[in-house]
Amino acid sequence: MKVNPFVFGIIVLAVFFGVLGGAKAAGVWSVSGKLDAAGEKVQPTGASVDEIKGWMTLADVSKAYGAPVAEILAAFELPEDTPATTQLKEMESETFSVKALREWLAERPKE
Amino acid sequence: MTAALRTPTVSKVKPRRKGLAALWSHRTMRRLTQLGVFLFIAFIAVRHTLVGEAGATITASWEAYCPMGGLESLYKFVISGGKTVPHVHLSNMVLLVATLAVALVARNSFCGWICPLGFIQEMVSSFSTFVQKKAPPVRRAVKALKTRGARLAVLDRPLRFLKYGVLIWVVGGAAVYGFMVFRDVDPWAGLWGLLELSFTFGTVVLLIVLVASLFVERPWCRYACPLGAATGLVGKLSPFYLKREASACTNCAICSRACPMGLPVHKAETIKHADCVGCLDCVGECPREGALELKVGLPIVAK
Repeated sequence: MKVNPFVFGIIVLAVFFGVLGGAKAAGVWSVSGKLDAAGEKVQPTGASVDEIKGWMTLADVSKAYGAPVAEILAAFELPEDTPATTQLKEMESETFSVKALREWLAERPKE
Repeated sequence: MTAALRTPTVSKVKPRRKGLAALWSHRTMRRLTQLGVFLFIAFIAVRHTLVGEAGATITASWEAYCPMGGLESLYKFVISGGKTVPHVHLSNMVLLVATLAVALVARNSFCGWICPLGFIQEMVSSFSTFVQKKAPPVRRAVKALKTRGARLAVLDRPLRFLKYGVLIWVVGGAAVYGFMVFRDVDPWAGLWGLLELSFTFGTVVLLIVLVASLFVERPWCRYACPLGAATGLVGKLSPFYLKREASACTNCAICSRACPMGLPVHKAETIKHADCVGCLDCVGECPREGALELKVGLPIVAK
């Protein structure tokens, strides 16, 4: 059966944008690790260190895992005057990485 | 060659449309779609560069709108039950599903109708054609270069298999190492990285692709795109195909010259090639009524 090229184009676009629209309508859509499927800002919960990301701040992690900012800074030999609003990825150095922080928090005795 | 091929008897020349009517074609529709997608991604990339992600406003990165991320994260997403490799979000997985759904229905048409990297390559090739038309010395130089490089044409077929190797490396690499091994090589990432003054190997690949597009249409798609390789394979199940009616065809090869993927359309009876991007430029350019048409039939077996 012969198909008009215009109809073909409409089918292509309908399938592609139909899937995207369907996913969005079903809530299966997130364009940032900082947002959940509902579009709400993701916050660390303290449930698992795997949830810690480089964009989270020192204060976010400190609050969720009950580890004082000063203790974290001291453990990784970071400057004491590092603001709590600093993102973890901005603190990457020879003594600090997100991975190292995850391991340290996982081994740290819970209060 | 049959007598029917040499002396067409039943086909008529298509009437030529003039003025605005000439613009009303599936090609215009395709170009507008490609342009719209490109401008949308450009807007996302510029906004993300200017606003960033820090603070109260969260702006998405252009990376969130690329199905390649979904392809690279596919293994982890399946085995972990929904987790992705770094820099990949749910949107990437949805875009991958949408791209594969298009392939299942309409072959590689994502590449021909939507992919902005394919659009950029087509624009560079169109620019090259335009300059060659306007400047005879350039045309002669390009022609001489192509004549000299004609012997390299034997590499075309084997090089087309390269993209399947890239596909295995991209999916396998991310599965083994847990991160996107392709990210620093990706010409699309190389393009948007320029906004942040980031120069990677992907920037070099992008430059190579753009320069090559002056001489060969869609070089990235033909030889190296892993997403095109994946959709080409899935597209084998699509019910759409191109049919050349030998009795109406004059073997002028205009269709083959119009094909941005360099497929020998005028030599085939049915075109179901995994590299066909479904642009339908061959159908649009064919001067004969009924010589080359888009058909729908049973997947794989339709003739």
